[in-house]
Amino acid sequence: MTLSREVYQALEDIVGPDNISDDPATLDSYAFQWVAELSQRGSKFMPRPEAALLPGSTEEVQAIVRTCNRYKIKCKAFSTGWGPYAAPKTDGVIQLDLRRMDRILEIDEKNMFAVVEPYVIGGQLQAEAMKVGLNTHIIGAGSSCSVIAACTSFLGPGPDSIYMGHSSENLLAMEWVMPTGDILRTGSLGSGAGWFCGEGPGPSLRGIARGRRGAWGGLGVFTKCAVKLSPWPGPAVMPVEGVIPAYNSPLPENFRAYTLAFPTWESYADAYNKIYDAEIGYIAHRQFNLLGEEVWPAYIMRFIDPTKTTDDLEELLRLPEIQKLKVEGRRSFQLVLAGVTPRDIEYQKKALNEILVETGGRIVSKMAEPAMERFTLLYLIKMCFKEINMGLAGTYIGTFAQHGTPDFLVSHLRPAAEEALGRHQRKGLIADTGADSMMAAVSGIGGGGDCTFEQFCHYDPHNKESVRGALAYCADAARAARERGMHGGLEDIAREISKEELEESRRHAPQPIIYAFQRKIKEAFDPNDIGDGSYIATEEVKY
Amino acid sequence: MGEKKDDLIKIVGAENVMDAPEILETYSSDQSFARPMTPRLVVKPKDSDEVQRIVKWANQTGTPLVPVSSGSPRFHGDTVPSMPGSVIVDLGRMKRIIRIDRRNRMAIVEPGVTYSQLEPELAKEDLRLSMPLVPRISKSVLASLLEREPRLIPKYQWQMPDPLRSTEVVWGNGEILKTGDAGTFGRLEEQWKEHLAQVSGLGPLQVDYYRFTLAAQGTMGIVTWGAVRCEILPQIHKLFFVPAERLDDLLGFAYRLLRFRYGDEFLFLNNSNLASIIGEGPEGIMTLKEELPQWVLILGLAGRDRLPREKVEFQEKDMIDIAQQFGLKFESTIPGARDRVVLEALLTPPKEPYWKLRYKGGCQDIFFLTTLDKTPEFVKTMYSLSQTWGYSPSEIGIYIQPMIQGVACHCEFDLPYDPINKKEVTKIQRLFTEGSKALMKQGAFFSRPYGIWADMVYNGDAQTTITLKKVKDIFDPNNVMNPGKLCF
Amino acid sequence: MALEDYRAVMERCARGSFCKWIPLAHIKSWRFAKGCPSIEYGGFHSYSATGRLAVSLSLLEGRINYTDELLKIAYKCQVCGACDVSCKVCRDVMETLEVIRALRVKLVEDGQLLPEHMYVIENLRKEDNMMMKSKAERGKWAEGLDVKDLTKESAEVVFHAGCHISFDEDQWKLARAAVNLLKNAGIDVGIMGKDEACCGGKAYDMGYRGEFTKYAQNNIEAWNRAGVKIVVTSCSDGYFAFNRLYPQLGSRFEVLHTVEFIHRLIKKGKIKFSKTIPMRVTYHDPCHLGRMGEPYIPWEGIEKKIRGQIIVHEPSKPIMRGGNGIYKQPREVLRSIPGLELIEMERVKEYSWCCGAGGGVKEAYPDFSLWTAKERLEEAKATGAEAIVSACPWCERNFIDTSNGNGERMKIYDIIELVQQAI
Repeated sequence: MTLSREVYQALEDIVGPDNISDDPATLDSYAFQWVAELSQRGSKFMPRPEAALLPGSTEEVQAIVRTCNRYKIKCKAFSTGWGPYAAPKTDGVIQLDLRRMDRILEIDEKNMFAVVEPYVIGGQLQAEAMKVGLNTHIIGAGSSCSVIAACTSFLGPGPDSIYMGHSSENLLAMEWVMPTGDILRTGSLGSGAGWFCGEGPGPSLRGIARGRRGAWGGLGVFTKCAVKLSPWPGPAVMPVEGVIPAYNSPLPENFRAYTLAFPTWESYADAYNKIYDAEIGYIAHRQFNLLGEEVWPAYIMRFIDPTKTTDDLEELLRLPEIQKLKVEGRRSFQLVLAGVTPRDIEYQKKALNEILVETGGRIVSKMAEPAMERFTLLYLIKMCFKEINMGLAGTYIGTFAQHGTPDFLVSHLRPAAEEALGRHQRKGLIADTGADSMMAAVSGIGGGGDCTFEQFCHYDPHNKESVRGALAYCADAARAARERGMHGGLEDIAREISKEELEESRRHAPQPIIYAFQRKIKEAFDPNDIGDGSYIATEEVKY
Repeated sequence: MGEKKDDLIKIVGAENVMDAPEILETYSSDQSFARPMTPRLVVKPKDSDEVQRIVKWANQTGTPLVPVSSGSPRFHGDTVPSMPGSVIVDLGRMKRIIRIDRRNRMAIVEPGVTYSQLEPELAKEDLRLSMPLVPRISKSVLASLLEREPRLIPKYQWQMPDPLRSTEVVWGNGEILKTGDAGTFGRLEEQWKEHLAQVSGLGPLQVDYYRFTLAAQGTMGIVTWGAVRCEILPQIHKLFFVPAERLDDLLGFAYRLLRFRYGDEFLFLNNSNLASIIGEGPEGIMTLKEELPQWVLILGLAGRDRLPREKVEFQEKDMIDIAQQFGLKFESTIPGARDRVVLEALLTPPKEPYWKLRYKGGCQDIFFLTTLDKTPEFVKTMYSLSQTWGYSPSEIGIYIQPMIQGVACHCEFDLPYDPINKKEVTKIQRLFTEGSKALMKQGAFFSRPYGIWADMVYNGDAQTTITLKKVKDIFDPNNVMNPGKLCF
Repeated sequence: MALEDYRAVMERCARGSFCKWIPLAHIKSWRFAKGCPSIEYGGFHSYSATGRLAVSLSLLEGRINYTDELLKIAYKCQVCGACDVSCKVCRDVMETLEVIRALRVKLVEDGQLLPEHMYVIENLRKEDNMMMKSKAERGKWAEGLDVKDLTKESAEVVFHAGCHISFDEDQWKLARAAVNLLKNAGIDVGIMGKDEACCGGKAYDMGYRGEFTKYAQNNIEAWNRAGVKIVVTSCSDGYFAFNRLYPQLGSRFEVLHTVEFIHRLIKKGKIKFSKTIPMRVTYHDPCHLGRMGEPYIPWEGIEKKIRGQIIVHEPSKPIMRGGNGIYKQPREVLRSIPGLELIEMERVKEYSWCCGAGGGVKEAYPDFSLWTAKERLEEAKATGAEAIVSACPWCERNFIDTSNGNGERMKIYDIIELVQQAI
C-alpha cells in the first residue's frame, strides 16, 4: 500500500515538508532492525513504513493520529527505536520518529522527579540529575534508551531496580495521545496540579497500556512523562578515565563495586533474599554473565586493557588468572554499595560481610582489583556499554525471562534455561558461551523480591546457518518455557510465530481472559485500529 | 424482591442474607454527609466463588452491589448506596489470612482481615505490615490499600499501590482474574510449589489490572484477596520528635532525610492531631494540645533482623548531625509526649474509640495529594477559611505524610465536631465544601474522590472522565458495581 | 574494499544508535551528549551511521535505486568518525566509517555525483587544490621566506602547507610561523612551494579514490626525489592523509603535525616562552588529528569463528578506536604557555564534536557546515573560555565564518599563533 497524495499532503501540512519523507532509502533505514532476521525470514528489514515523520510537538502528534483515524492508516511511534517492536509489523504503517521531542522540561530537585519528552535518553537525564544529587533508573538495555519509552511502554527492570525501582514504578503523571487522538493527562496532571502523581483521580488509567510488558507503541503515543528520581550520593559529574574502550571511574569513598560468588545455587538464592532483607545495595545485577560463564572473564579484559580485543579471547582464556576467575566467578553477580554518609557505607559493608559468611559466598578477588572495580562501577552506574550484548557473535536474543522469586529462578527457570541453551550450543550454530549465559537484575522491582534470568543466545546475523540455529533454539526455548508454565522472553516477540502457535499458546495461557480484556480495551481505545499488533488483541473475544 | 433474597440464599445460605431493618440501618449512612439510603439486602459471601456468583447474579438481575470490607464507623460515603434496591456485599466473613511467607515477605489476605488480626500473625513470622495512621479497629487491611491510604513509611513505597501487589478480582462483569504475578502461572497452590510468591503487582501482559481497583470505591469489581509485601519485624524500634513552631522550619530537614531514605515512620502531625492520638478523653486531648509543640516531625527508626543496633545507631547519629545543620532538635521526649507512647500508638493494633472521634465524637477529613513544599500554603488557606466559617483554626488536626519515597505528599485536615450539635454540623458542612473547593483551586489533587470531590474533580478533567467510563464499560458493562460513585 | 565487502558489518549492526551519541560513559549534560552532526541536522534516521548501514544494505539488496535523497544521505555527513568511535566502544567487528566511505566510492564509481563536488574535483584535477583556486597562486604564502625549495633541493623534512593554508591569506602566517619554528630549531626543512599539490585526503573522503591515489602517489614520488624522511604539516586533514592513508600505498615517511613538533621542542627546551598570555582558552580536537590521528597499521588476515560463532580474526586485527590520537601534545603545549588557562569542553578527544568542515560538507552543504560549527562554538562558550584554539585550518576557518555570521565575540586561534605570541 502506498499513501495517497492526499494523505501524504495532509501529513505534510502537519509537520512541514522537511519533516516527512517517503523516500525509499529513508524508509528502509527505519525498516532495518535488530533481530529482524528472526521474524523476517533472514532479512534485516521489517516491513517498510509508508512514510517517516518527525513531529515536533504533542499537538503535531495529535494531528497526525487524528489524520490516521480519518484515513484508517496505522501509525507506529518510537522514541529511539531500538528493536523490531519499534518498526512496523505489517505494510500500511506510518512511522513516527519522536527525536525532535527531546527536552527535559523540568527537574524538581526537592521532590525528586523530572519531566521529559520522548527523545531524552537515560544517559542525558542521569547527567542532569547527578548535578543536583539525584539519579534516574536506567533500564537494562542501557543509557541510550528513552526514559519515556521505558516508563510507559517497554519492560522495565535494570541493574539499579533494587534501589530505584522498575521503569513503570517510576512513572508518575504522563501525557498520552490515545489512538483516537484524544489527549489523556493522567493523575495530578489532568487535574492541573502538576506532575507528581500518576494515579487517579479514582482508578488509575495508566493501567490501560502498561502491565509488565508495556504496549510497545501499539496503543497511542506517549508524549511527555514525569519520572521519579532517586538519590545519588556520588559526585555531580562522574569522572571517567581511561583510553577507549577501557573507560573506568574512580570509586568515591562511599562506594564499592563487588562481584560476589556463591558455592551453590541455593546459597545464591539465599543471598538475594538476605540482600533484600538487609536493604543494602544501590545496584545489584548479574551483568557480565550475559557473555557466558565460559567467556565473560576473558571478554571483560577488553575493557580493562585497551590493547585487547575479541581476537585475544582464546589467549586470555588460557591465562591462569582468567581460568581462576572463571571458576571463582560461577554463580556470581555484581553488587554496588553506595552510602549516603560514611557511616552508611560502613554499615552496608558490614551487613554484606555477614551475608557472605552466612551463605558461604565471597567477594571474587580478581574483580575486587582496583581496575576491575572501577570498570564495574562505571559500567553499572552509567549502563554505557550495553552493545556488549552484540560483542561476541554479532548479536544476541534473550530468552526465558519469566519473573519470580530467587528460589523459583534457581530451581525452576535455571535448569530449563541451561538445558535448552547447552543443547543448542553443542550444535555449533550459536556461540558456545556455556550453558549459564544468564543475565538479569537481582531485583526487577524496587525493594527486592522479584527477579529473573534472561538466557543469552549469541549468534551471527550475517551467517544464515547461525540465524537458523538461533531460530531453532528460540522455538525450543519458548516450548520449554511453556511446558513449565512460563512465558517466554524476547524470543517470543522477535521471531515469526504462526497464527496457530499464537492461538495455541493463548488457549493454554493461565488466564486466557486477559486476551479478551485486551481485545475490549483495543476496541474501546482504538476503534479505527490504527495501532499495530504490538498491543495484543486476539480475534476472538470469548474463551 | 423476595425472589432476590431467595437467589442469594441459594448462593450463600440463609444465615448470610439479611434484611432486618436494624441491620440495613447500619449500612444506610456513615460519618460523611452522603445522602443516606437504605440497602435492600445485605449478603455475606465466604469465598471468591460465592462473590463471583453474586456478581454474575447482579448482572442477570440488574441489581446494584455495594462492596464493604471494613466495619463501622465508615467515613467517606463510598459504602452508602447511591441507588435504591442496592445489595450490600459485606466481605467481613472472608477473614482468611491465606498465606504468610517469611522468606519472600509476602502475606495474602482476604478483604475481611483487619490490622488487629493480621499484625500478631505476621509477628509470629517476624514480619510486619506498614499501617496507615492509627486505623480504626474494624478497618480492613485490603480496603485501606485499595483506597490508597497513605502508609507511615515512605521509603518502602516505590509506587503508589505499595505494599499491595498481586490480587484476585471479581470484575463487575463476573469474570475472575488474578492480577500481577499471580496471573502468569497456574493456580496459587501450583505457584507456591514452584516457589512463586505473587510479589509483583504488574500485569499480566500489557495491562495493570489492579490499578483499576484502586480508589475505585468498589465500582470496578470486588477484590477477593490481596498479596502484600511485608517488612521484617524490628528488633529495635526508636521514635524521635523534631518539634517546631512553624511547619516551614521542618521542611528542609525532612527533604534531606527523604533524600537519604533515612528513618522508617516519617510523618508530620500538628498538636491537635497528636493530642487526639495519644490523649485520653476530650479534656485530656484539650490539655495535651496546649502542651505539645505546634508541629512535630515524627521519625521512627527501626533495626530489623540484621545488625539492628548498628543500623539504629548510625542512622540516629547521622540524623542528629543533619538536624543540627538545620538548627533543629532531635528528641525522644517533647512536652506532652514520650517516644514510647507515640510509638505504641502508631504501631500496635488500634484501640477504640477511633482517635478522630475521641475529641468531639465526629470528624470530617479533607485530604488530597500535593508535594511537601506546598503544604504550608495549604495550611494557611485552611486556617484562613476556617476563620471565615467560624471554626477555630486551633481545632484543626493536620497530618502530612510524605509518600512514594518523598515525591508526593498526603495532606490531611481533620475537622472534629459534635455531630449532635446542629450548628456545628452546618458549620462543618460549609467549611468542608468551601475548603475543598478552595484547596482544589489552589492545586490540591483529590486523587481519592469521595462524595462531593468526585464531581469537583471529574468536572475539571473531562478526558479522564470519558476514559474512565470506557474502562468501566469493559469491566462493569452493566454498571452493577456501586453505581453513582465517582463519575459513573 | 568495496561496499559489498562490508555486508557483514551492515548485517551485524544492532541498530543500537550508539553512533548518534558520544560514548555514553562520557555524557556530562543533556546539551552536549550528541555525537553525530549529521543526524542532528538531518533528522531522519538515515542520516545516522546505523541509518547509512541500513541504506547501504538496502542498496546492495536491490531494494532501492539511486535518488537525490540517497545522495544527500550519503554526502550530508562530515565523515568525522564520531560514530565509528562510539560504536567501537563495544564492537570489535564494526567499521561504520569505512562503510560510509565505501558508499561514497560506490556512488562515484556508478556516476552518482553530487554537482557541488563535481566542481571541486574538476578544479582539483586542473589546479591541484581543493579551494577552487588557480595553481599559480599556491606558494605565495612563502614569499620572502628563506626556506629550501624541494623541487630543486633536498631536505630531511618537508613542510606541507596544505590547500587551505596555501590559499587562505589569513592563514599564511600559520605556515610561515611553522617553517620559522622548524628552521630556528635547526631542522633541515624545505617546502614544495607553488608545486605543492593537494594531499588528496578530502577527495578520498568524498569518494574519489582515483584522485586520491593519483595525488598520493605524486606526493610520495616528489618527496622521495627530494630525499625527504619526515613530513610535517599544520593541516589535520593532511596529517590524516599522510599518516593513515599514504602508508597503505607504500609510503614510509614519518609524519608529524606541527603541534607534535612544537611539543618536542618545548620538551627539549628549544622553545622558551618569554611572554604571558593571560587568557582562558578551550581546545578543539580536530577529527583528523584526534580520533583519526592514529597511524596506519597494516593487517592481512581472515575472519574466523571460535566456540561456534564468536567472531575473531587471524592474526589479530588492529582496531582504530581513536584513543591514541594526538591529544596530549596540544594540551601540554597550551598548558606550558604562561598565563594561559585551558578549560576543556565536554566533548573532547576521541569524542570531540566535529567543526563541520569535513567530508565535502563545507563545499556542498554550507548551511549544515556552519550549523555544526555553531554548535561547537556554543559548547566552547559554555566553558567560559574567551577563545577556542585548534590545530587545523579547516576547523579554524569554519569557526571564523560562523563567528562572523553570528556576531560572535569568541576569539579563534591556531595553536601555533599562541606559541608564537608567547615566544
